Amino acid sequence: MSKGRTHRLGGLALASPPLVLVAVFVGFPIIVAVAYSLGHTEGLNSTVAAIASDQVTVDEPWKVTFGAYTTVFSDPRFQRDFVVTVLATLATTVIVVVLAWAIALYVRLSDTWISRALSALAVVPMFIPVVIASWAILTFYNADGFLRSVAAQFGMEAPVWGFSMTAVVIGLVWTHLPFATLMVVSGVQGVPDALIEAARDAGASLFRTVLRVIAPLALVPTVIAGTFTAIGTLGSFTVPYFTGPNAPKMLGVDMADYFQAFNLPQASVVMAVVVFVVASGFGALYVWANYRAAAQSGRV
Amino acid sequence: MTCGVHVSHHVVTFAPRRLFALPILDGGNTVWLMRQSIRRGGLVTAGLAPLALVLAACSGNGPASQGAATAGGGSSAGASSGAITVAASDDTNIQELFQQVLIPDFQAANPGVTVKLTYDLHGTNDQANFAKLAAAAQQNREPAMDVTASFVPKAAKAGLLSTDTSKVTALSGIDPKIVAAGGPGAVPYRASSVLLAYNPDKVSNPPKTLDELLTWIKANPGGVTYTSAKTGGSGGAFVSTVLDKYVPPADRDQMTTGYHKELEKSWDQGWKELASLNPSVFQKGVYPNGNNQTLQLLSSGQIDMAPVWSDQFISGQASGSIPKNFKAQQISNPSFTGGASYLGVTKGSKNQDLAWKFIDFILTPEEQAKIADKIAGYPAIPLSQLPAGTQAKFQSADTQNLRAGYYSDHSTDINNLWDQNVPGK
Repeated sequence: MSKGRTHRLGGLALASPPLVLVAVFVGFPIIVAVAYSLGHTEGLNSTVAAIASDQVTVDEPWKVTFGAYTTVFSDPRFQRDFVVTVLATLATTVIVVVLAWAIALYVRLSDTWISRALSALAVVPMFIPVVIASWAILTFYNADGFLRSVAAQFGMEAPVWGFSMTAVVIGLVWTHLPFATLMVVSGVQGVPDALIEAARDAGASLFRTVLRVIAPLALVPTVIAGTFTAIGTLGSFTVPYFTGPNAPKMLGVDMADYFQAFNLPQASVVMAVVVFVVASGFGALYVWANYRAAAQSGRV
Repeated sequence: MTCGVHVSHHVVTFAPRRLFALPILDGGNTVWLMRQSIRRGGLVTAGLAPLALVLAACSGNGPASQGAATAGGGSSAGASSGAITVAASDDTNIQELFQQVLIPDFQAANPGVTVKLTYDLHGTNDQANFAKLAAAAQQNREPAMDVTASFVPKAAKAGLLSTDTSKVTALSGIDPKIVAAGGPGAVPYRASSVLLAYNPDKVSNPPKTLDELLTWIKANPGGVTYTSAKTGGSGGAFVSTVLDKYVPPADRDQMTTGYHKELEKSWDQGWKELASLNPSVFQKGVYPNGNNQTLQLLSSGQIDMAPVWSDQFISGQASGSIPKNFKAQQISNPSFTGGASYLGVTKGSKNQDLAWKFIDFILTPEEQAKIADKIAGYPAIPLSQLPAGTQAKFQSADTQNLRAGYYSDHSTDINNLWDQNVPGK
């Protein structure tokens, strides 16, 4: 028993530098920011509070107020933007996962140079800066963009997607597809040939093989890909800022606007906390997936 | 006269004027405001930092009196040697202005003096630098800069600047409204205004007044857009100008120099007017983010007319990014607002005298003329004090008659209310 405890303490000691780092540089600022959103403007928040306007504050250190939250939630602009952000996140996540699976299955079931080229191509956006990509997407789908120019050659009229939520979702799918593809492809590739062949020999259709054999075995990487896509999309700024409409906006753009252009940092922090809470929901899925993976391999 | 603070001079201060400052942070991430704050609007103010010393650098005899002070060594100015740090942020043109013109000139005029420039390209770190300045003031430490050309109105409002502006002799010649709009301690050193740029191939008879412009917009759907107020001062100027149509002049004066929230009621009609433009604006209500995006729409022929910054338009034509045949003009009744960029001396600076001397130096006619040549900026001091050649350059721009923008708190309110009342309504 004492040996076990030493072992555990040793492990903790090894892990402590990164833990301390995370606590100081991530955990502490989160606590300070949440305190600010609850009306605490003293201490480390006094600098930001000295500049900000329209703050809800408390006069005693042990009190909290939800005034800032009430103000933000009763603003129809926030309600609209919150709904749009969640919808864009869900749409992006579903599209990304579906595309990643399509590519993964194609690579797994038909190992040709085309399928390998496709999976390599899907990763390319990872190497292109998001700012550049946003501009490229905007010019591609603009009123005078490539899409409409080509359509016009054939006497058709393509829609204008520049400065619309459609462009935002396209941009977000573009930026998040590479990681999801890497995850899902590796998960699907990891399914042993023997299992697939056994299922086919027993008379299972391709669809059934995918549904009953491949999908369950690749579930964990899929959940991880999905949660990362969702969390990344939820707080995204660059793509919606450049390619999106003026209204509605995604919350990432709202937070930057409120913090800077409107000089309402407290409202901005409130939105950040809201995004954080929603993201933790997705994060819980990720933790569950990891736990399940660990349990399957007998590590827990 | 005036060199206007244009509309939002907050825009002037924080929003990128000449380039859209890239948001580098992307966000995969949720929270962290600090990251967010890191910016998305570049700053605009390019600062300069001139300060003036009590020295008589007034128009004409500047060099002589400075020489005297330098020779005196121990004069009250006491600034014949020493070092100051100037902080500025903006596009490369302002960096060159400081690095190649203002600072070398000042050092040449004051042997033994060293001026160090810390330049933050595109103002990406403005928010962080401002927070550092505020933190230094709170802890009574010496700030990292003696003179700032960045976030000046914001720093002035927060009480972080020395208010000893009597040391700047040229200040008395500048429109008091413009000076006051910068906040206590802010010294305007250059300006520009917003003009109506148009494509003469499409617009043969451009609107001359605001009413004509509004009529034109509705008669030509898709022909115009303006930068969203919060991301660029050119759009901010348009928005303020439409709002001003309904604001009583006496109220407007008060809102130029101070914060009077109750007066914002008179904007209501203006917001309705602006929202009624939505269906007639480019793509039924698209307001690009950043001045550059608007210029690009104009240059590529997607729109025919747009409010633009005078200096951006002039330098854009010089570089070829805006077609040479495009024209820009001011409208009237009311005219578009103009804006000044400011300098300030930090309150905690240990080199107050030299810092003020630097600012005073930048406001001399010689340096003002160089600003006009180098970056096509309007001089802050009256045009009549400048050389004839410079005067000729701005003959049609009416640099003396810029209409001042709103006080910075009103400007942030305009950003917020525009966002609430105009797009998507």
